Amino acid sequence: MFDYPIFEMPFIGHRLLFAFDAILHVFISHGAAVGGSIILALTQWLAIKNNDHKLDALSYKILFTFFILATAVGALTGIGIWIHINIINPAAIGALLRVFFWKWFIEWIVFNAEMILLLWLFLIWKKHPLGTPGKQKVYKLVVSYAVASWLTMAIITAILGFMMTPGNWLKSYFPAEPDYVAALFNPSWIPSLGFRTFWSIAWAAAMAMLLTWFFTKKDLELRQKAMRLYGTVLLVCIPFFVLFGAWYYAQFPQAAKDLFWMGAITRRLAAHPEYATYLISGLAGMVLIGAVSIYTKPKHAPVFLAVIMLIGSMGLIGEFERVREFVRKPYIIYDYMYANGVRVADVPYLNKTGYLKHAAFVPPEFREVTEQNKLVAGKYLYQMQCRYCHTTNGINSMKMRTIGMSEEAIYIRIGSLNSPATPFMPPFTGTDAERKALAAFLASLATHDQPALAYQKQLDEVTK
Amino acid sequence: MSDFRIIPGDIPLPLPTMGLEFMEPFFHGLLIVAWVVHILFINVLLGASLASVYFNSKGHKEKNPIFDRVAYLLTTPVTISENMGALWGVAPLLLVSILLTPLFYSSSIMISPHWLHIIYGNVVAFLLSYLYKYTWHTLEHRKTLHIFIGTVGVALFYTLPLAFMANVQLAMTPSTWTYTTHFWDALLRADTFFRLVHFYLATFAVTGVFMLVYGMYKRKSDDAEDHEAGVVLTRTGKTWFIIPTVLNFFVGPLVLFSFPDYGIEAFFENGYFWGIILTVALALFALYQLLKDFFNDDLPAKRVWTVVAVMIVAIISMASLRHGMRMGLVKPVLDASHAKTELFQKESMIAFEEAKNAPVAPVITQADVQPGQVLAEKHGCLACHNVDIKVVGPSYKEVATKGYTADQIVELVKNPKPENWPGYMPMPPMPQVPDEDIKQIAEWINSLK
Ligand code: HEC
Ligand code: HEC
Repeated sequence: MFDYPIFEMPFIGHRLLFAFDAILHVFISHGAAVGGSIILALTQWLAIKNNDHKLDALSYKILFTFFILATAVGALTGIGIWIHINIINPAAIGALLRVFFWKWFIEWIVFNAEMILLLWLFLIWKKHPLGTPGKQKVYKLVVSYAVASWLTMAIITAILGFMMTPGNWLKSYFPAEPDYVAALFNPSWIPSLGFRTFWSIAWAAAMAMLLTWFFTKKDLELRQKAMRLYGTVLLVCIPFFVLFGAWYYAQFPQAAKDLFWMGAITRRLAAHPEYATYLISGLAGMVLIGAVSIYTKPKHAPVFLAVIMLIGSMGLIGEFERVREFVRKPYIIYDYMYANGVRVADVPYLNKTGYLKHAAFVPPEFREVTEQNKLVAGKYLYQMQCRYCHTTNGINSMKMRTIGMSEEAIYIRIGSLNSPATPFMPPFTGTDAERKALAAFLASLATHDQPALAYQKQLDEVTK
Repeated sequence: MSDFRIIPGDIPLPLPTMGLEFMEPFFHGLLIVAWVVHILFINVLLGASLASVYFNSKGHKEKNPIFDRVAYLLTTPVTISENMGALWGVAPLLLVSILLTPLFYSSSIMISPHWLHIIYGNVVAFLLSYLYKYTWHTLEHRKTLHIFIGTVGVALFYTLPLAFMANVQLAMTPSTWTYTTHFWDALLRADTFFRLVHFYLATFAVTGVFMLVYGMYKRKSDDAEDHEAGVVLTRTGKTWFIIPTVLNFFVGPLVLFSFPDYGIEAFFENGYFWGIILTVALALFALYQLLKDFFNDDLPAKRVWTVVAVMIVAIISMASLRHGMRMGLVKPVLDASHAKTELFQKESMIAFEEAKNAPVAPVITQADVQPGQVLAEKHGCLACHNVDIKVVGPSYKEVATKGYTADQIVELVKNPKPENWPGYMPMPPMPQVPDEDIKQIAEWINSLK
C-alpha cells in the first residue's frame, strides 16, 4: 500500500508469517478458551451433581493446562494477529477498525470480564472444594467465564465474516460511508459462528481426552468415565458443525466457491480435486477412528490414538483456515479492497496518474519512472503490490513464477494478473511506464546472475 | 512544512463517532486512562518479577525463609499484572489505531520485524514466568536452576519496553522520519534513551508504592512468616519509591528537552508546564510522607493510602500533559495527512465516475473474431498465451504446428504435460474450463498455422 512504509518478510513471505501466529491463536483460543470453558462448565456441573471428587480434581488439572495456554499463548497471539496485520496490511486493518470500532470495543470489555473471571476462578478454586457451599460460586464463575469467552468469539466472527461477505455495507464509496449495522449482520456471521462454536467444543473435547489420558494413568475407572464424557461431546458436535459448515459455505460469493478446490490443495494439483477429498477424509478419519476407539475402549486405548485424533483435528482446522483465507482472494475485504491494500474504487485513478506518485515512503526521485531508475522503481512496485503473496526468492517466489519468461512476456502477463486463469490475483495498478518498470525488475531477478548488482548500481546512481 | 519530509495518507473512512460531537474528546480521555492503567500494570509486572527473583536468590544465599516467602508472594501480582497489562494494552492500541492511524502504523512498520517482539518475546516470557511460579515447590532443592529460569524470564520482560518505546517515540516525532528509518535508528536516539530511563525508574517507584500496599495487607496476616514478609515488603517499598522518584526529577527535564523544538514550544505555549509543576509538588509531598516514617516498619494505613492517592493524581496529571504534548507534536502531520487523503479521494472519485461511464470496448463482437478466441479470452488462456510470441506459455502459432486434435488439447488443458515444452514453467491444470469450450479454442488454435 502506497501510504505506508515497506516491511518485507524475506523468504517465508507475509502469508506464512501471518499464518503462524493466526493458526496458533485459533488452536489455543478456540480450544483452551472457548471450547475449553464450555467443556469445563459441563464437567463441573456433572461433578457437583454426582458429588464426584475425582472428576472434580481432574477438571482442575485440565483447567490449569487450559489456563496456562489461554493466557500465555492464546491471548497474546490474538493481539498478535492484530499486530501482524498492522505491519503487513495497515490499510486493511485500519479500515476494519473504523468500521468495527465499537464491536471491538465491546469485545475488549467482554475480554476483560473473561480474563478477570478466569483469574478469579483460578485463584479461588482450591478455597472452595466440592461439598462446601462455596462450590456453587465456583460453578457460577465457570459458567460466566464460558459465556464471556463465547461472546468474544461471536464478535470476532462477525469481523471475519465481514471480510468475506461484507453485504451491503457501503452506502457510498466517495466519501466512504459505512452502514455499521449491515456490516455487523453480514450474511455469513451467524452460520460461521455456529460452525466455529461446534468445532471449538469438539476440538476442546479432543484436547481434554489427550490430557485425561496423562492425568489418569493410575485411575482407569476415572479415565473411562471422563473419556466417555468427552468422547460423547466430540461425537455429538460433529453433525452440528457439518450442518453449519454447509450453511456457511452457501454464503460464499460464487467466485470464492470456484476457488474452493484450489485452496484446499494447490494450484498444481487443481486437476485432481479428489486429492482434496482424500486429504479431508483422511484427516476426518483420523479424528473419528481416534474418538470412536477411545470411546468404546477407554481403558485399553493407547495414547497414540488420542494423539492421532489431535493431529487430525489440527489438520482439519488448519485446512479450514487456509481455504477461508485463500478463497477470499484477490480481496482482503470483498469487493472493497484488494489483498494488497488497494481500494477497488481507486484503481482507475491510480492507473491514470501512476501508483508511485502517491507513495509517501518512496523517495521522490523514484516516483516518476525513467530509464535510469526503473529497476528500483520496479522493486518498489513489487513491494507495494505483490509481496503480500509473493517473495523474491522464497515461497511463491517471483523468480520461480517468471522463470523462462522474457521481460516482454512478463510485461504482457502483468497486464492480465486478474484474468480468469489467475482470478486470485489483484490486477496490477499503475501506468504503462510503471508496468514496464515492474517487468524490468522481475526480469532482472531471473535473468541476471547477480540481480542485486544491477539493482544496486541503479540505486547508487540515482540517489548519489 | 519543512519539518516534515513524509506525510502518510489516512484511512478514507469516517471516525466511528456515531455522529456525536463529544465522542472525539471522549476517545482522547479514554486513551489517557487506559494507557495509564496499562502502564501501571506493566510497571508492577516488571518491578515485582524482578523483586521476586532478587528475594528468591537473597533468601537462598542467606538461608532466610522470610525472603523466600516474600519472593513467592510477589508471583501473584506478577500473574495478575502480566495478564491485565496485556489486556489493558488492547484499548490504547484500539484508540491509537483510529486517532493516530497514519503515524502509529507507519512507525510500527518502520521498526518491524522487531515490533513483533512484543508478541513472541512476550509469549516466551509469560511461559517462563509461569514455569517459575508453578515449579516453586518442585524445584525447592534446585534453587540455582529455579533462579535461573526466573532471571531469564525477567530479562526477557525487560526487553519488551525497548520495542514499545522505539515505536511510540517514532510515532510521536514524524519530523525525524526518513525513507530508511528503522528500529535501531529509533532506539538509539537520545530522546528514546532518556524516556526509557525515565520509564524504568518509574517502574521501580510504582512497584514501591504497590509493595507498600501489599506489605500493609500481609502485615495484618496471622501467619507469622507472612507477617514478616509484609514488613520486608514495606521496607523495600519505601526505598524503591524514594530513590527512583528523586532520580526522575533529574531525568524528566532531559526527556522534555530532547523533543523537537516545535514540541517544546507547544509545551510552553499550551501551559502544560503547570502539569509538571503539579506532578513534582505531589511527588515531593509523597516523599515527605514516607521520609517522615522511614524507620517505622509499622507504617500506618493512613500514610500508605495518602501516598497512593497523591501518586494517582500525580500520574494522571503527568499522563494528561504528556498526551497534550504528543498531540502537539503530531497535529501538523495529522492535519496534512487528512488534507492529502481528502484531495486524493476527490480526484479519485472523478476518475472512478469517468471509468464507470466510459463505453465498453466492443472488440469482441467483431465478425472476424472466431468464437474460440473469445472463449480463450474468457477463460484466461490469453493471460499466458499470445498468438505470435511466447509469454508464459508458447505462442499459439507454435502450438498449432504440433497438430493436436481437439480431444488431445482438451486432455492437455486438464492434465498438462510440461515435458512437451522444456524451458517453460509447467502450465497449471485448468479443469474448470468446460470441454466444449476447449474444443472451440482448439479449433481456433489450429486455424492459426
Ligand atoms: C493475493 C495474492 C497475490 C498477489 C497480491 C499477487 N499474486 Fe501473483 N500469484 C498469486 C498466487 C496464489 C499465484 C499462483 C501460485 C501457484 O501457481 O501456486 C500467483 C502466480 C503469479 C505468477 C505466475 C503466473 C501463472 O499464471 O502461473 C505471476 C507471474 C505473478 N503471480 C505475478 C504477480 C505480480 C507481478 C504481482 C504484483 C503486481 C502479483 N503476482 C501479486 C497470488 C498473488
Ligand atoms: C498460467 C499460464 C497459462 C494459462 C492460464 C494457460 N496456459 Fe496453456 N500453457 C502454459 C505453459 C507454461 C505451457 C507450456 C508448458 C506445459 O505445457 O506445461 C502451456 C502449454 C499449452 C498447450 C500445449 C500443450 C502441449 O503439451 O503441447 C496448449 C494446447 C495450451 N497450453 C492451451 C491452453 C488453453 C486452451 C488455455 C486456457 C484454457 C491455457 N493454455 C491457459 C501456460 C498457461
